[in-house]
Amino acid sequence: MYLQCKDISCSYNKQHQVFNHITFEIPVPGFHALFGESGVGKSTLAKIMSGLMIPDKGTIINQSGSSQIIYTTNQERFPGWQTIQMHYDSIFPKNTLDQWQHMMHIFGIDNCLHSKFHQLSLGQKNRVNLIRYLLQNHSALIMDESLANVDESMREKIILYIKTQFPEKIFIYISHHVREICKFCDQIVVLRSVGHSPQALQLTGQNLYNNTIDSEKLKENMLEIVHAT
Amino acid sequence: MLHNRIIQFFILYFSGLTMLFGIKYSIGLSDYVIPSIIDIVDTSNRIWPVYIRAVIESMIIAIMGHVLSIILACIIGILGSMHSFVGTFIKAGAYQIQAYPVVAIAPIIFILMGDGLIPRLLITSMICYFPLLLTFVGVFTEPVPDIEHYYNVTNTLSWKLEIKIRAYEHQKKILTVIEGSATLAMVGTIVAEFLSAESGIGYQISIALSQSDMAKVLIALFLIGFSISIYLTVLAWGMRRKNVGSNF
Repeated sequence: MYLQCKDISCSYNKQHQVFNHITFEIPVPGFHALFGESGVGKSTLAKIMSGLMIPDKGTIINQSGSSQIIYTTNQERFPGWQTIQMHYDSIFPKNTLDQWQHMMHIFGIDNCLHSKFHQLSLGQKNRVNLIRYLLQNHSALIMDESLANVDESMREKIILYIKTQFPEKIFIYISHHVREICKFCDQIVVLRSVGHSPQALQLTGQNLYNNTIDSEKLKENMLEIVHAT
Repeated sequence: MLHNRIIQFFILYFSGLTMLFGIKYSIGLSDYVIPSIIDIVDTSNRIWPVYIRAVIESMIIAIMGHVLSIILACIIGILGSMHSFVGTFIKAGAYQIQAYPVVAIAPIIFILMGDGLIPRLLITSMICYFPLLLTFVGVFTEPVPDIEHYYNVTNTLSWKLEIKIRAYEHQKKILTVIEGSATLAMVGTIVAEFLSAESGIGYQISIALSQSDMAKVLIALFLIGFSISIYLTVLAWGMRRKNVGSNF
């Protein structure tokens, strides 16, 4: 299974160019990252990869068969008339009840079940939203700041859970936490502004499955990413 | 808050009456043109049972017409929000029909259907449904991306759910236009009765007009204004309750 962005070029209103011949490849399933400065076009590229936007040029090759690439962002909401439980009941098959309840417990949000979405904190909102995407049938999930406003230890716990529970899927994590990305991600695509060549650099992270860190290696990795931007 | 509309109505009505008496006494108009206060009181003592019955009848038709127009606008709004040829055709047709003044179409309705409940109801709903239609079409065609995104990417967004999400998210807009169109419903009823009916407060006004009896007209105006204020107050109260209930 792999995912490839091949020669992607895109511009807004045919004047302001955002991407110029971007090419990179996610060769294996796992937890990967899309990193870059604010405004460099990470969300736009994610939308192109998931088919929500059409680039001027280039193709996205998804070799995982019929299942699709899904994009989720931290800007989403649930319908206002539903509690979290009502919403999950309406979107998930009954046989997934144990699974999503277990995920809510792991994600530290089992006390949110009877609340409405607007009553939750930002971090809780992002976690209840992420659960509904994790249980979809997809080959790749692009998580655009999906763990924003969640405290660091919980973020790490969730990332490790995703890595161990869904090893056959591709996750592309968009975040500004360099340390976290270096620690847990396999392939790191560093997106740079349109003047740079190449615009997308591909680096390799530590891809840890636990919290044991080699500090020196991590530091080197982080510097490498920061310099690449 | 509850009585604001009724108080506003009293202030407005009695200001108008004062202005009328001001004109009467400043330029010395006869009681035949603008009746005196005693004449108005005498007339009201004589006609109040008939007029109250008439205004209640008109109010019932106005409320029924209002409900009918809400249903009509909602259905056309849903059909018009479809991204198909049918949707576009219905939307364009609804706008085109509204371009004709309803008062001009009303005689055709009365000729074809005669006097009675149905033509009055029809004219009432035709007069008050257009602002409702504009709002419903606007609301149902305006996506709520942050909610609909999930359903779109998972291919689970049915048209019913889409309408439900959009109606829920824009409920304040919908409730405001429903409240606003209530006045138009009463206007529509009175227009219909004035044109050709044989009962209702509009009909009583047309008789008063033929008799040049301004006292009767002033009493009818008082009853119409008072009943509309009560209807709007009840409507606003009901909607506030619904709004509060949906948010908490």
